[in-house]
Amino acid sequence: MRKTQENHRFAALLDSEKWSGISIPILSLVLSLITASVMLLILGKNPLTAFLSFLQGSGFVPKASYGGGAGMLTDFFTFLNVLAPMMLASLGFIVAFRAGLFNIGISGQMMASGFLATAIIGYSGMNAWAAKPLVILVGLVAGGLLGAFVGFLKYRFNIHEVVSTIMLNYIISYLTGFFINARFADPLTRSMKICSNEARLTWTNVQIAGMKCSVPLGILLAAAAVVVVKFIFDKTVFGFELRAVGRNPLCAKYTGIKVGRRIVVALMLSGMLAGLAGVTYYCGYYNTIVPKALSSMGYDAIAVALLGNSTPIGCIFASVLITIFQNGSNYMSSTLGVAKEIASLITGILLLFSSCGGYFRYLAHRKLEAARDAADAAAKAEPQREPAVPASGMKEDK
Amino acid sequence: MEKVFIDGLSFAAPLFIMAMGGIYSEKSGVTNLAVEGFQGFGAFIGALTAVLLMPSMGDGSQAVIYIAMLAACVGGGVYACIHGLLCVKFRANQVISGVVVNILAVALTTFLTSAINKVLMGGSQSSNKFILGVSDRFTVPGLSRIPVVGALFRDMYPFEIVILAIAVIAWYLMYKTRFGMRLRACGENPQAVDAAGGNVARTRFIAVMISGALSGIGGICYAYSISANFSPNIYMGYGYLAIAAMIFGNWNIPSTAAVCLFFGLAKSGGYQLCLSMGLSSNYSDLFMMLPYILTLLLLTFFSKKNHPPKAAGEAYDAGKR
Repeated sequence: MRKTQENHRFAALLDSEKWSGISIPILSLVLSLITASVMLLILGKNPLTAFLSFLQGSGFVPKASYGGGAGMLTDFFTFLNVLAPMMLASLGFIVAFRAGLFNIGISGQMMASGFLATAIIGYSGMNAWAAKPLVILVGLVAGGLLGAFVGFLKYRFNIHEVVSTIMLNYIISYLTGFFINARFADPLTRSMKICSNEARLTWTNVQIAGMKCSVPLGILLAAAAVVVVKFIFDKTVFGFELRAVGRNPLCAKYTGIKVGRRIVVALMLSGMLAGLAGVTYYCGYYNTIVPKALSSMGYDAIAVALLGNSTPIGCIFASVLITIFQNGSNYMSSTLGVAKEIASLITGILLLFSSCGGYFRYLAHRKLEAARDAADAAAKAEPQREPAVPASGMKEDK
Repeated sequence: MEKVFIDGLSFAAPLFIMAMGGIYSEKSGVTNLAVEGFQGFGAFIGALTAVLLMPSMGDGSQAVIYIAMLAACVGGGVYACIHGLLCVKFRANQVISGVVVNILAVALTTFLTSAINKVLMGGSQSSNKFILGVSDRFTVPGLSRIPVVGALFRDMYPFEIVILAIAVIAWYLMYKTRFGMRLRACGENPQAVDAAGGNVARTRFIAVMISGALSGIGGICYAYSISANFSPNIYMGYGYLAIAAMIFGNWNIPSTAAVCLFFGLAKSGGYQLCLSMGLSSNYSDLFMMLPYILTLLLLTFFSKKNHPPKAAGEAYDAGKR
């Protein structure tokens, strides 16, 4: 009896308007941590040490020993360096997703904007005050144009954005690869010549509390972007229209919203955020581009958005989480001797569970309904007695 | 010129079977972006089987290739169950599920390849590759002597014939059998299938598994021809190209075959053109873009007339009207 009651409280938590946004991602996280633990146990490693070393690698928990000049803050700032583009990219996905569009092309948009920013500003020798804003501007414009182009193809020619973004990803990858190899290649590393420190969005070798840190400007951009996106969606007519288009384009059209234009603008905004992510990634965290290697961040961003319930605030937590796994994987691999690919494996499993989030909620909903029906039936059948605690007939409905 | 046909066909055939996998899934009403992951995982299982068998059957044995193809087929089909479960049973968003399945496939195969290599080699140094070698080639006597087109029958990989045979069977299954009709109906009007006594969930699940099996074959064929090994490089995006071919071919098996052949010829033609013009290898990147640019360009003309399966992308809801 008591067990079922607890079950119901759990179901209610999963299905409530207020809490399901938090409880379902947490459930997915717990499930995937359990799966990851099982995998690590099979490999003969202690899962707790593994999770701890993920945190240590990201600068949340002090490591056993540090190299000269490095410290916990060093790791933490590296973590922030990765976090910034991740947050921006996932915000980019969210903006389009809320309008019912899938921007699969974030990787390509990132690479294009990073490439253009490096090629135009990174080698120009401008001073830092002029170069940094210009890098950001180039990122915004390049990403925005690409996004708008995808939107235009959809609006004008009915080409599904998933297809066109995938095609554009490859075109951008080969095109930038060609230009890097032909003109901008560093003869030693075969990747793009490094972006100048003046233009780079990360200050390297900053001394904080005696530790060498790389301070990212991108994290401020990301924080600002979260606020802006949240403001647009919650407080403006435009944001409301975007959501309306996402929910039901036909209905939106009927109310007089210009659906085609909203699609173009939504994809443009999404591309701008992806462009920002690109410059913080390629001209911030890194200062070079490896030709023809699209970063997997564009796809991971989809995961982050999904895990964060496609809300701007949720995506902060989700990107922190995923970045801990990805950024901490090197240290984890060196301490435990497990291949660092396990980090992406854990991310993948986490994704798998969070894409079932809707189903978890549906199950909980059905369970509550069944319980309610049973209670009603019991109350009807025996009106004299006080309504019994719902116990029978609530088998999980599959 | 001959080279264009030979390479074009050996690129087009695996692409075609992957596109056919996509068609099976989408015609049943399950959007499939997961072809990339399916082919990679299928190739992984096939390559693993081959690596395990090679010591006992001899390195150069061609029989291993056929066993590997079978294993890749099974492996892809089993892995596709994840996509099937997510889309059919768990009602996940099908595009997201596809992306998830792809990410998981890359992570899983990369991790497993290095882990298994560690065990097989016994050393601490683990590579992330299974070395496979290249399949033998053969020439069809008689047909290959036809001028120009005859090159299509010269230096063929045996898997091209296998793929052709599978394609004919798959076409027959889709358009001439009761199961195929149900499958197509599931993609257009699943409620009608349900009313007629069919099982929408089961049909879709089977379709997704077929999709995985076909894609897996495509993957192992690439591993045995273009790259001669299995490594994370198998995720070159050919799965996505197959999806593009499918859309371009209007979800229709014969026209998709034509599109794949076109892609193959465009790719190898571009490469040979680049060589014959005496350009440096840098320029091959520009020619590699050709199929993608052509797709985008041609889609602007054709996508208004395209007829995607009506119910693709939605989880089946029996109560919907």
